[in-house]
Amino acid sequence: MVRFSYIFSLIFLVFFSYYSYGQDEDTLYVPQKEKVPLVLKGMKVGVNVGRFSDYLFKPERTSYEASFDFNISNKYFGVIEGGFSEISIEKDNYDYTSEGSFVKAGVDFNMLKKYPSDYFGIGVRLGRASFKHSASNIIYNDIHWPIQSFSVDSKSYTTYWLEVSLGIKGELLKNVYFGWSALIRVGISGRKDEQFQPYDIPGFGKGESTVNLGANYYIYYQIPFNKNK
Amino acid sequence: MKFSKYIFIILVSFSAFSCSDDVCNEETKSTLNLTFNVKDEALTDLGFVDNLSIYSPEWTDSIHFSDENESGDSFLGFMLSPYSDTSEIIITSTTATEQDTLIILTQREQIFLSKECGFITKFLIDTVLYTLNYIDSIEINEDEITTAKNGEIQLYF
Repeated sequence: MVRFSYIFSLIFLVFFSYYSYGQDEDTLYVPQKEKVPLVLKGMKVGVNVGRFSDYLFKPERTSYEASFDFNISNKYFGVIEGGFSEISIEKDNYDYTSEGSFVKAGVDFNMLKKYPSDYFGIGVRLGRASFKHSASNIIYNDIHWPIQSFSVDSKSYTTYWLEVSLGIKGELLKNVYFGWSALIRVGISGRKDEQFQPYDIPGFGKGESTVNLGANYYIYYQIPFNKNK
Repeated sequence: MKFSKYIFIILVSFSAFSCSDDVCNEETKSTLNLTFNVKDEALTDLGFVDNLSIYSPEWTDSIHFSDENESGDSFLGFMLSPYSDTSEIIITSTTATEQDTLIILTQREQIFLSKECGFITKFLIDTVLYTLNYIDSIEINEDEITTAKNGEIQLYF
């Protein structure tokens, strides 16, 4: 009877193991990624407050920059940025003026999952600037030649660049966001002029550089809607 | 701590700005070098080059070889007219009775170097006309005159 009991136990064990193995294969749980529906959650309007530091650190430049973005499920943001820049330099040996505008369009991708109303992510933009510059009262202080002055006629340019950013945004007050981003801009075309190199390209930075680094400081107001979704 | 608090701390603690001392630290003069090669023994005996000077009718002064070459260099460097495509240079020596004239015709480009330095001029020598009182021939060794001080005309006497 004992021997019978052992055999029964062994058969039961083998059968149960096989059955369990089969069950594992049939019901193996694979976590499915929950697809987040793409929903327009709001729009933000922002002002680049970093530009106001020009009054202190770059007094020859007056510039403004604003931003408009569409929040899609707090994950993707369609972004349009634009601005205006004017430069006026008055030196002993020349006067220089430049004015123009720029527009940038691209997307931001939010890498944060824990804080759905905040943002930490990367962005890509394509930028375009149209501007013109001119110079007058150009003087050479050579000890031999008598001093005369002359001018360089106004020249117009259209410049394109690619911009990649890494930034953060946080809701400090209700629907009011502060954001900071580090930028790298790579010139694509239209910024080189060997004779009369632009000093500063609106939205891009130093005209002589192919790659410019920068930072943005933004204050945004989010226009909330679709909160229930 | 809420994520937005971190942002506020970063915004307050981080500021990006650039400083400039507003002083031009780059070379702004595009200098042409005149070098001299005396084959006429009579001029060598007179010490023609040692007493040589150049000037332009538009200048109020002259450049003297003896002043400029204390370091042992054997050339005179100067800037062509930044305001005209034609520069007239007179070559004279206190030991010689006559003088020679160079008329250097150039193309000019104004280049905006930087905010601190302003503009520089780049010259390209087209032609050099000259008198033959003492000059035997000339050779344009480098026709592009930039701030690298590489433009050079060699004069043979």
